[in-house]
Amino acid sequence: MMHSLIQLSIAVLLLPLLSFVVLIFFNRRLPRGGDFVGVGLLGTTLAIALYIFWTVIVQHYDPAFRVAWDFTWLDFGDVPGVGPLQIKMGIVVDNLTAIMLAMVSLISFLVHLYSTGYMHGEPLYGRFFAYLGIFTFSMFGIVLSDNLFSIYMFWELVGLSSYLLIGFYFHKDSAADAQKKAFLTNRIGDIGMWLGILILYSQFHTFGYQEIFEHIKNGDFHMSQTWLTAAGVLLFMGCVGKSAQFPLHVWLPDAMEGPTPVSALIHAATMVAAGVYFVARIFVMLTPDALHVIAFIGAFTAFMAATIAITQHDIKRVLAYSTVSQLGYMVLGLGVGAYSAALFHLLTHAFFKACLFLGSGAIIHAMHHEQDMRWMGGLYKKMPWTFATFMIATLALAGLPLTSGFLSKDAILAGALGFASVEGGGVFYLIPVLGFGAAVLTAFYMGRQIWLVFFGESRTHLKPNAAHSLDDHSDGDVDHIHDAHHGGHDHHPVHEVAWNMRLPLVVLATLSVFIVFSPDPLDGGKGWFMHLVQTPATVVSVTGTSHESAGLGAPEAGKLLATAHTDTEHVEAAPAQGHGAEAAHEAGEHHGPVFTDPRQAEIAHMTHENHYTAIKLSSIMIVIGIGMALIFYVFRIIDPDKTAQTIRPLYLYSFNKWYWDEIYDATVIKGSMLISKILAWFDANIVDGIVNGVATVFRKFAFFNGGVDKYVVDGLVNFTAFTVQTTGAVFRKIQTGKVQTYLLMVAVAVLGWFAFYFAHLVK
Amino acid sequence: MLTEQLLSIGVNHFLTISVILFGLGMFAVMTRKNAIVILMGVELILNAANINFLTFSKYNGGMEGVMFSLFVIVLAAAEAAVALAIVINIFKTFKTVDVSSVDTMKE
Repeated sequence: MMHSLIQLSIAVLLLPLLSFVVLIFFNRRLPRGGDFVGVGLLGTTLAIALYIFWTVIVQHYDPAFRVAWDFTWLDFGDVPGVGPLQIKMGIVVDNLTAIMLAMVSLISFLVHLYSTGYMHGEPLYGRFFAYLGIFTFSMFGIVLSDNLFSIYMFWELVGLSSYLLIGFYFHKDSAADAQKKAFLTNRIGDIGMWLGILILYSQFHTFGYQEIFEHIKNGDFHMSQTWLTAAGVLLFMGCVGKSAQFPLHVWLPDAMEGPTPVSALIHAATMVAAGVYFVARIFVMLTPDALHVIAFIGAFTAFMAATIAITQHDIKRVLAYSTVSQLGYMVLGLGVGAYSAALFHLLTHAFFKACLFLGSGAIIHAMHHEQDMRWMGGLYKKMPWTFATFMIATLALAGLPLTSGFLSKDAILAGALGFASVEGGGVFYLIPVLGFGAAVLTAFYMGRQIWLVFFGESRTHLKPNAAHSLDDHSDGDVDHIHDAHHGGHDHHPVHEVAWNMRLPLVVLATLSVFIVFSPDPLDGGKGWFMHLVQTPATVVSVTGTSHESAGLGAPEAGKLLATAHTDTEHVEAAPAQGHGAEAAHEAGEHHGPVFTDPRQAEIAHMTHENHYTAIKLSSIMIVIGIGMALIFYVFRIIDPDKTAQTIRPLYLYSFNKWYWDEIYDATVIKGSMLISKILAWFDANIVDGIVNGVATVFRKFAFFNGGVDKYVVDGLVNFTAFTVQTTGAVFRKIQTGKVQTYLLMVAVAVLGWFAFYFAHLVK
Repeated sequence: MLTEQLLSIGVNHFLTISVILFGLGMFAVMTRKNAIVILMGVELILNAANINFLTFSKYNGGMEGVMFSLFVIVLAAAEAAVALAIVINIFKTFKTVDVSSVDTMKE
């Protein structure tokens, strides 16, 4: 008997799929393109998901809550060379799953609702809702999976559905390019992820998370720990692709070609969240080395994307880079071991980023598909609702106290500081430094955006007609279909959007306030989230390769490390013993388990120590950031354009997104093309040559063979026929048709036989 | 002498007659062109066979030969009926009863 929560989560999983199936086949036959099917089914899903949330989070309120169910999906029996091969599918519902289900279904529902307004009048209106359905279904699949195999399947489904949605305006070249770019970039990450899965499978012959973790804990991993690190980093590559981390981040800004509600869904709930969620699921098996890689990639991404965001003109592009940057924070958080903080940020970010995107969609909708912030301005009077919600979400993104963003970002930064002080090396301080740097930039570019969009005078009339050709990035600010559709509205005044687009904004803005997550506006640790989602104890035992024990013999290193660690605790931390105990006590209250792993324990401890430092520092950073935005854009003490001219190389570097696209174009793409050309040449000359050579040999042989056939085999056949014919011709003569001749022959034969017989008798 | 000879009529005499009759019948079948005559030849052959049956029956003491010759007579009557029907059909088809010109089965 399945647990009722499992049954409900299966319903949550399948309802969006039902929406997809119904809409993809019948959207043209249903009234209104069938949007009520999508919205209705998602509303049901949301209700069920909220019920699960209520049961798990509010009623149980237990950090260790977990319900699982699985079944054998494929049973190959005993495969030669592999052993018993079974693939299981299963569902796990724990606190994180329940929270994610509620978050994804809420945002997906709001996006559905919002799309009824935003996408109104599109030619493929119904199909849009079908795609949203399969996108949501895939994400639920990732959230509910209990093993690497099914998560990989849903992972690819997310890739597919994002491909469909990003290229929704597929008649535009830029959208078609963007969808290809997103898909291919993700494939690179997915290959790594698959290799990681194979490494683990080769060792344990199972895909289930729990089994794999049990095996690692029991020390069943027979290869060196480097391989475990490699498996972790390879699995993380999947996240790098999906969550748009540094080497593979290039697809996300281009994905802005999709309709704005899709951007909200991709950036908040479904696609990019999948990567972080996946790393969280495999968190316990990541080795310290793998975590370092993750932390550095996250920190670099956070900072790099923030520097790009400050110079972009397109309202959605700024938000896209801010998403990349915030995802960098989450990955950084996971890398430094601030597991619950990172997931907390995932949740809070989902709400305020969805709000920002839907808000920007409302602005774009109201501005008749103008996306360039340079030609906006003064919208706060015309769109008060949008302005208010956008403002709250912006403050949350910037991480101002009293918002949800502050709680989670601060927790990550505290974790980064704690991590750096535990790791000790100077280079590890780069991680919190980059994190705080990104915080300044976030505050700055969001201040800039708010000012350019909502305040000042309207600059619509300043827009030069040829702006698009001057703009060196074609962001699709002109959507021909839309222009055709809204052609007559160009000079109509800007107005507030309808209720079905306003309601999601209000809901999401409400969820961006601190009180939803924690009673204390300065400490997320006192909230329900940090209580329910606690950093799990790692299953990797740090032996041998730990950098702290470098120089020691590998076998004793673990033991020595443990002893050394205890000594340090005793001797150096002696004065702070009282405080430490207090901290431990507090930790017991709301920071969860006491770790057996010394490294994790110390990071947790130092994170707590650094909590207030982080609060202070990040508050300062926000003030600096907003102050800079005020100086540049509000009071115009420094003219941004002139500054841009003065530091033109830097400006261009940021404006052109660190030239990553160009670098990739020059290296990876050109390289691939070159290799392709070489391979094509190889194919055309060597392979084809071999094939043709073989063909020639065979032709000659066949020619010879044909001769044999013609003269020898046919000759034999013809000779047989000739013989038979000749014999026939001879014997035919006997067949005269005259009865009497036959009778004569019979008589002669009988006489002959008699003669022979009697001659025999006589003898 | 003659009496002796008459009294000494034995198996060989009967068989000789039978052979002569058979030879005449065979000769008629082989040489005549008229189908009716050929049939008459066949009758002679059958009667030669009858004489043989009766001869051996007489000198052997059993009744099987007599019974068999009765069968053969019945058979000869049936055969004559069927054969004459065939001959009539041949005549209808070829307008002749000359068997040497009825050779369409040749080759």
